[in-house]
Amino acid sequence: MKFNFISYLKDRLISILLFFFLFLSVFFTLSAFHVGEELLLSIMVLFFLFGSVLLSYDYIRRRTFWKHFLFCLERLDEKYLISEIVSKPEFLEGELFFDALYEINKSMNEKIHDYRKNVTDFKEYIELWIHEVKIPIASSKLIAYNNRSKEIKKIDEQISRIENEVEQVLYYVRSENAEKDYLIKEVSLRSVINQVVVKNKEALLAKKVTIKMENVDHTVLTDGKWFEYILNQIVNNSMKYAKEKDSFLHFSYHETKEEAILEIEDNGIGIAKTDLPRVFEKSFTGKNGRKGKNSTGMGLYIVKNLCDKLGHSIELKSEEGKGVKVILSFSKEGYYDVAKSLTKL
Amino acid sequence: MFKILIVEDDIELREELSIFLTKNGYESYCLEDFQDPLSKMEQRKPDLILLDINLPNCNGEFLLKEMRKQSNVPVIMLTSRNTEVDEVLSMTYGADDYITKPYNPTLLLLRIEAVLKRYHHVSHILTYQDVTINVEKGTVLREKQELILSKNEMRILVYLVNHQGAIVTRDELMNHLWDNMEFVDDNTLTVNINRLRGKLSEIGLYHVIETRRGLGYILL
Repeated sequence: MKFNFISYLKDRLISILLFFFLFLSVFFTLSAFHVGEELLLSIMVLFFLFGSVLLSYDYIRRRTFWKHFLFCLERLDEKYLISEIVSKPEFLEGELFFDALYEINKSMNEKIHDYRKNVTDFKEYIELWIHEVKIPIASSKLIAYNNRSKEIKKIDEQISRIENEVEQVLYYVRSENAEKDYLIKEVSLRSVINQVVVKNKEALLAKKVTIKMENVDHTVLTDGKWFEYILNQIVNNSMKYAKEKDSFLHFSYHETKEEAILEIEDNGIGIAKTDLPRVFEKSFTGKNGRKGKNSTGMGLYIVKNLCDKLGHSIELKSEEGKGVKVILSFSKEGYYDVAKSLTKL
Repeated sequence: MFKILIVEDDIELREELSIFLTKNGYESYCLEDFQDPLSKMEQRKPDLILLDINLPNCNGEFLLKEMRKQSNVPVIMLTSRNTEVDEVLSMTYGADDYITKPYNPTLLLLRIEAVLKRYHHVSHILTYQDVTINVEKGTVLREKQELILSKNEMRILVYLVNHQGAIVTRDELMNHLWDNMEFVDDNTLTVNINRLRGKLSEIGLYHVIETRRGLGYILL
């Protein structure tokens, strides 16, 4: 809605009509008493002039405030800050409106503050809880190792599943929150890949997957822990959808002028063309997920979020039935100075 | 035998860790009382300390920093705090390694071994019949005849020597190589074993590695 003279006149229509009615009544009354034409004219002109001045004065007073208000509102990114920027108007409705706006804003801000605090408290609690729950998981894994048997091995596998789910919650919380709890520094590609492969050893050996690494003796600028999680998700997915025979997992690295690129390629069942654009969506499971591989559709969503935060780009290429290629790109220059100064600390 | 001190406040975990270390050939102690942990840690004179970060009344990173003022005994941080910041902090305070819970037990052993080896410069020498195996140098010596083995061949030989007289399955060997970050596949393992056999026969050890069909290998 705009504030201009026409909309103002429309708003005042009844007052103006009443004024005209008064104007005409006076005119006819005076005519009925046979007042001289000159006097009648002067009275009418004065009447008209006073009416216009009154209307214009009122219009200008309001216009100054509303023009400024609407101008600021349009330009403001955080619209709720409007009452902090605009000064209080000097007409009654304006003042009432302004006070009300201030009150509304204040109560909304309090509410937001409460929610924000709740979210932070919740996040802190979840992080704490995850640290706590990792202790019995660690004990269970040791107990399983100390007392090996067929049944215990099965339990151990289930514990590993719990471990993965817990890890997912942790990174979900981390990826959804604005606070920066990562640290970018030079990370050895080979050591992270090694750790991830060893972590998935059982599945990889069970499916007899051939591991190939090409040109991976480089460092990339990233957060080691987050990167390990990202890579682990990629390898996990690859294992879930690997074929029964002659599977491979190929890690290769190359550089362009601006970017360092890691590609992870497999020859699994691939992703359907129609699903491909949606794989990073939250809770999207697609054709493969529906085949009952207990997919939650959260893995790649979290991976994408983490990559966005770290400033890496991630891309998936796939041909159904032939495999998937994941392309991870790291910046080379951008973070370099920051990373250097941080590692010196 | 190396003495390992466990500084961890969770009773279940430290007891299980202690059993695990004892079973794998280490002597282990647990710190049970966290009043004045620093002097108690020193009293025990351990060869290696496994240190948690979240401890009652104190912080492991702080303990480490204080301890480093007087001692340079190897320390591995063993913690559930898995941020890069914690790791960088611990490493700058002088930790020798940083492992997050829950850990893979086999990998924990390997990393303990690696830290101890680095610190004590133990040369790992094994003997089999009249053969001396120098693991670090990657050589096998018999009556002045020296053989050079590749990394994988050495790993396989060491594993077989440690399990001499017992059948070692291919799965076990694969697992062992993978734990050591050598991601070989089935064919490569066969090739490595055949090469190892070939090399051993060069120094007069014929048919020492036998194939037990469907079961695995055995070192006589």
